[in-house]
Amino acid sequence: MNAPIVVTRGLTKVFEIGQLQVRALRGVDLEIHEGEFTALVGPSGSGKTTFLNLVGALDVPTSGELTILGKRVAELSKHERAQLRLHSIGFVFQAYNLVPVLTALENVEFVLELRGIGKERRAQAMQVLDELGLAELAHRRPAELSGGQQQRVAVARAVAARPRLVLADEPTANLDGENAEILMHMMRDLCEQHGMTFVFSTHDPRVVAHAVRVVTLVDGRVSRDEEKPGEMPHAILPGIGKAPEPARS
Amino acid sequence: MGFLSSKYALRSVGRNARRTVLSVVGIGIGVALALFMESINRGRDELFARMGAYSGAGHLRVVPEGWRERRDPRLRLADWESDLDAARELPEAVAVTVRARAQVLLAMGTHVVPVEMVGVAPETEPRTYRFVERVQRGRYLTPDERGAVVVGKAVAERLQVDLDDDILATAVGKDGNIEGAMFRITGIVATGSEEIDASICQVVLEDLEQLTGLAGGGEVAVMLADWRATDSVRSVLAQRVARGDEVLTWGEISPEFQGHLEQDKAASRFISLFIVLIVLLGVASAQLAAVLERRREFAVLSALGMSAGHMVRLVLQEALAIGLSGAAVGVALGMPLVWHLARSGLDFREYMGSSYAFQGVVIEPVIYGDMGAWIVPYVLLVAVGATVLASLYPAWFAARTDPAVALRVAQ
Repeated sequence: MNAPIVVTRGLTKVFEIGQLQVRALRGVDLEIHEGEFTALVGPSGSGKTTFLNLVGALDVPTSGELTILGKRVAELSKHERAQLRLHSIGFVFQAYNLVPVLTALENVEFVLELRGIGKERRAQAMQVLDELGLAELAHRRPAELSGGQQQRVAVARAVAARPRLVLADEPTANLDGENAEILMHMMRDLCEQHGMTFVFSTHDPRVVAHAVRVVTLVDGRVSRDEEKPGEMPHAILPGIGKAPEPARS
Repeated sequence: MGFLSSKYALRSVGRNARRTVLSVVGIGIGVALALFMESINRGRDELFARMGAYSGAGHLRVVPEGWRERRDPRLRLADWESDLDAARELPEAVAVTVRARAQVLLAMGTHVVPVEMVGVAPETEPRTYRFVERVQRGRYLTPDERGAVVVGKAVAERLQVDLDDDILATAVGKDGNIEGAMFRITGIVATGSEEIDASICQVVLEDLEQLTGLAGGGEVAVMLADWRATDSVRSVLAQRVARGDEVLTWGEISPEFQGHLEQDKAASRFISLFIVLIVLLGVASAQLAAVLERRREFAVLSALGMSAGHMVRLVLQEALAIGLSGAAVGVALGMPLVWHLARSGLDFREYMGSSYAFQGVVIEPVIYGDMGAWIVPYVLLVAVGATVLASLYPAWFAARTDPAVALRVAQ
């Protein structure tokens, strides 16, 4: 087993909404190891998104310990957390969230520009799109892409800077079955070929089937943590971007 | 900021075309109004400086020590010829003249009029005191014309005299004795202002010296090619005049007149500021709405690792683009106004008659706008400055976006 890149100990998160206190996480102890392909499952309100936000250094825990790539998140400033995200973490969102005024290529390139990569960033971004079979979509804006295509571009954006950890919050929730399959294969490919660690939340059992490890959250606590070696329906699909155009979702 | 960030900012400007167009037009109208006001302000500044200077003060005036405090016309310069030479050597000077003044009583029969008699150099005086060009009857003094006097129309009427009449002038002499001299009226000046016409009484300098027994000039008036250079030339001239003499500006010679101008300027600037403030609030509101609309997008950018500073620069760059567009619209709308103002002026004749005097200065009823190179930096400053300033709060708001909260709300 590889070294853990995320370690949580007694992790809690409480949201205060007016007078009301919502305990989203109630003491999560978990280690996520380098190169893992982990699904986070559980009913709505179980704390999946909150957990991903914390592990993505988007938020800070109310109590407990959270260490990402050896850095204790509670001790990081806002700027340091932004730097950690920029250099080590990629995000894939349920609603794709591509920048609408930039093309697919520019969306990918933008992350590289944020990292301070110079002239070579365009070629690098194009290479990422090409590797993921999205080269033909490079110059289209998000509004000209189907949901599935947008989400694949979002994955390309998330992995363009080769982060060590990629977090995806219900990445297939807005996709049909075929696109969900394509996306999961793409993510598994990236995990295996580049050793990136993926943690994604989902409700979909077909998506869960792709995971190597499945962590179940219930009421803000880990209720089950199981590994599924040898149960991977994984196969690399060549030319994903060239697959027949799926219906827009 | 990288190239792509700039591209992103520029494209974002066009995202909500209607709002952007409204913002740009709003800024443009504000800039055009501010430009119009500034053109009037500058034109009025120039007009007032010219009126003040040509009403006898000069842009600069060399005066004897103590004159500023006592305003005593009996004071004389330490070395007026040296001061005159120093002033003539200034490259910025277009006219220089020497004068001396004395309080006199003019008398004709039983009619007596107190007046300030000015001893002048007739060859240079008309270039520094424009009213003597308005000789309604007769003619102006000629160099070395002894025993001649030019008076204002009101003075002549009060004395009930006419051209070629001889009048008696009496003044306190050097030793406190009453001295007198006869003068023949060679010209009667009519400026259109009763106040000014009641104050004009000019003779050649030598006659005044003889009447008062005080030798030399009491002041050297200097007219400059560009009134804006008044302060800098004053510093230079102050180094060169005779020891004890000092150099004053036209504003210091006529403090009430300058105070009136300053009041006017303050009022105009307040109106301009008010216009800019309205534009600023409008832009701030539009920019804040744009940022609020894109809250999720900023959250995503933050999640991707964009720093708060980068986000501020992104929003400000969008503001810069809107500001520059607003500047272009402002120029397009404002330039015809300014051009018209510079050519035809604003005519206040209907409200104040053809001439209006204030503190011995005749106010011209037509103000011409100024149209110069200042317009470019002014427009950029107002449009871009106001837009960027108005966008500081929205930018700060964007930078403060909590990605976790914004994404949670969005979902």
